[in-house]
Amino acid sequence: MIKALLAVLMLYGAQDSSLVLGPAEIYGESHRQELMHTTLGSIEVGRNYLENNFSGTLIQSLSAIPGIQARNIGSGQSHASIRGLWGHRMVIAVDGIKHEGQQWGEEHGLEIDPLGIDRVELIKGPSSLLFGSDAVGGVLSLFTNYLPTRSFQGRAQLNFRSNNLSTGVSAHLEGRKEHFFWRMHLGGTLYADYRVPTDSIEYYSYRIPLHKRTLRNTAGREENASLMLGYVGEQLRNDFKVSVNDSKCGFFANAHGLEVRLSKINYDASRQDIDLPWQQVTHLTLHNHTHYHADRVLLEGDVAWQMNHREEHSEPVPHGYMPLPPDELERSFHKHCLTGKFGVTIPLSGQNRLQGGIDIEWQHNRRGGWGFILPDFETLSAGIYLLDRHCFSDELYIHAGLRYDPTWTAIHAYTDWFPTPGDEGKSIYKQRAVESKRHFDPFSWSVGVVWGPERWVLKGNLGKSFRVPSPKEMGADGVNYALFRYERGTADLLPEESYQMDLSVNWLGESLQVSLDPYLNYFPNYIYLNPSPAFEEGLQLYRYTQASVLRTGAELTIMYKILQRLELELKGEYLLARQMDGAKKGYSLPFTPPWGGNAGLTYRFSEEGYVRLDFRFAGAQNDIVPPEKATEGWYTLNFYAGKAFQSGRTTLKLGLRAENLLNRRYYDHTSYYRMIGVPEPGINLSLLLGIHF
Amino acid sequence: MKQLFYIFISFILLYACTPDGKDLQAPEILSAGEQTCPLNCQEFTPGGLIEFAYLFRDNVELGNFNIEIHSNSDHHTHGTEAGECEHEHEEEHTGTPVNPWVFNRDYPIPSGQTQYKAQVRIPIPEEVDEGEYHFMIRVTDAAGWQSIRSVAIYLSSSSHSL
Repeated sequence: MIKALLAVLMLYGAQDSSLVLGPAEIYGESHRQELMHTTLGSIEVGRNYLENNFSGTLIQSLSAIPGIQARNIGSGQSHASIRGLWGHRMVIAVDGIKHEGQQWGEEHGLEIDPLGIDRVELIKGPSSLLFGSDAVGGVLSLFTNYLPTRSFQGRAQLNFRSNNLSTGVSAHLEGRKEHFFWRMHLGGTLYADYRVPTDSIEYYSYRIPLHKRTLRNTAGREENASLMLGYVGEQLRNDFKVSVNDSKCGFFANAHGLEVRLSKINYDASRQDIDLPWQQVTHLTLHNHTHYHADRVLLEGDVAWQMNHREEHSEPVPHGYMPLPPDELERSFHKHCLTGKFGVTIPLSGQNRLQGGIDIEWQHNRRGGWGFILPDFETLSAGIYLLDRHCFSDELYIHAGLRYDPTWTAIHAYTDWFPTPGDEGKSIYKQRAVESKRHFDPFSWSVGVVWGPERWVLKGNLGKSFRVPSPKEMGADGVNYALFRYERGTADLLPEESYQMDLSVNWLGESLQVSLDPYLNYFPNYIYLNPSPAFEEGLQLYRYTQASVLRTGAELTIMYKILQRLELELKGEYLLARQMDGAKKGYSLPFTPPWGGNAGLTYRFSEEGYVRLDFRFAGAQNDIVPPEKATEGWYTLNFYAGKAFQSGRTTLKLGLRAENLLNRRYYDHTSYYRMIGVPEPGINLSLLLGIHF
Repeated sequence: MKQLFYIFISFILLYACTPDGKDLQAPEILSAGEQTCPLNCQEFTPGGLIEFAYLFRDNVELGNFNIEIHSNSDHHTHGTEAGECEHEHEEEHTGTPVNPWVFNRDYPIPSGQTQYKAQVRIPIPEEVDEGEYHFMIRVTDAAGWQSIRSVAIYLSSSSHSL
């Protein structure tokens, strides 16, 4: 019991205690504790891992973990996918608060600073019990709230990447004086158009020559700043954090979405500039977390406000009956999200720990620009949950919980700004979205068991998660200019439900560690955007429909310590998805990653130094659904090396990475640019210099 | 535990190894021989007629097709074929559109067809801007695959062709 409470406390008060030393992990008692912590398949990595694996974006840095995939939008933006589920089908949480941007967009990245994170916990599997709607595929939980241990400490980092001429700088300062502490983080990255190992791109039999093998207009920049002020006492901890993330990046100029286009802009004049079309996002977060430990009862409260402002600019071009738009602002979205959370943890008897709480979230979204895709909306949800953990012994516990999330969504009407000729020569301003109000009453539950006899950790979980249909899925009715297709929502969609069975088998031997995480997942009503044979306003009509979907897969990790200093690591993942009924019966789901993995050999030449050779591979993906293209299998050879030099309290860190050493030309099936035939970056050398003091 | 394992295995075997009748090929837009119209860079006259003729083919079943014509006075290019064409009087017809011709219509293909010769007579209005236009041909199949072909055409009252 006390152990369980301690574990909860450790989550908030711990230093970077994870024993993640190099690119590979060293398993030990702490790893066992991490595994025992949840009934679902889970992986934790610390700051060291993120620094050593830094690959431009946070998600790219995490993509070597089996079960998590990076869906890249060029070289500087990506979003996460857990077992092939992304966008509104997974949750990214920062210090326990659901990160809310415009997750529905295939070309939208993530507004989080990769170098300001202390610890990442990936939970694979249904997690609505903890996070409500959307946590169907799992949760990527990011923590930025470690306590400073000294009155003044910090770190600074400098990184360079050759492929997109990226330069990144970050500085982190923090300090603690008795009960008070502060943390400050500043970071910025600047990158140019990225380089691909090809002279031209073929798309719809149209050949696009590339200037100096660079992908026109994929340059970008990103800036981050955050400040945390906190108090930590015997029983009370309170921290308040303000953070802002600002980024701007260009889209490949010759093809945007499904359309090939050329313009009069001289894109080849500079590799560094960001021309049209481009996207810019500002994300502001204010978050206050309170943690009160009264006697045996633990009380936690959060209040957060997030503001997400996105603008997508492109050259105004008339299309169909839409005349030449007045400006470059194709779409803008302005979102506010208020979150309030309150939770209580009460140890009941010797073995039982009861946890309950309420999460309230309010979202307010407003659109702008000449391209309509998402109506204005407000959403209010109030999640009430009760969880119980019953420990039979130190080695065996069961965990069960129930959650109810009443949700209200109000969608606003939208009418075109230009007339469309109707019947009998009359022109009408078409109404694209109808005002509507929806109410949902979704329940979610989960039952799991963890058994850790000796060197085994065996886990099983059965759970139901849900996702409330997004306003885009219910209210879209217009041309998606970014993807050049007509998308139509379905007003009466039901909440998407997902039932999932997860197993996790872990063997933690002296020199051999094996983890196998298989799962079976069933959606009775997966919300699927179906490409139909019909046309609407000159573009192919895509309609939101619901179909039952069965998915299964597994992740495997094998670590073998061949010698004291030599480690072999094998990781793999496999996923199969099938639509069981509906218009695409028998087909897979879009962006399903192919089987793949990596094999790495690490040699530690000293306590703080390593070299690693890594072979990354993926199979062909021929299991496709329109409008996808089949993708051939690929492999890359990568080399990593790192060394830390310690002098008193100061540590100097040096990291070298060489990705795609053989400059292989390959396509990532899940990348945004895959559908227009753009290969992944070629050889990329990166250098990382860090100082911790 | 063992039973669960067998369920997993049988599911994987069932779906990974069974050949199914899924359509994984997009339809094709092919030339209709001598009659093929419009051809890239072909010139037409306002008030005249475009006698559209192309051949569509699919491995399973064709869906619908769409013809969309829009002005390219700003010389943006979609191009599968559409590219720069050289025309007389080009300079005077480039710039801000005044009354650009917009045409956008969907056409069904009788169900069950794997090959279809599409023929449509498209009258060109009298009072429209002259200059370059994009003639977009889009065809779908029953499974939802789409193919696009873009052809550049030119409207000119002094046109000597046709």
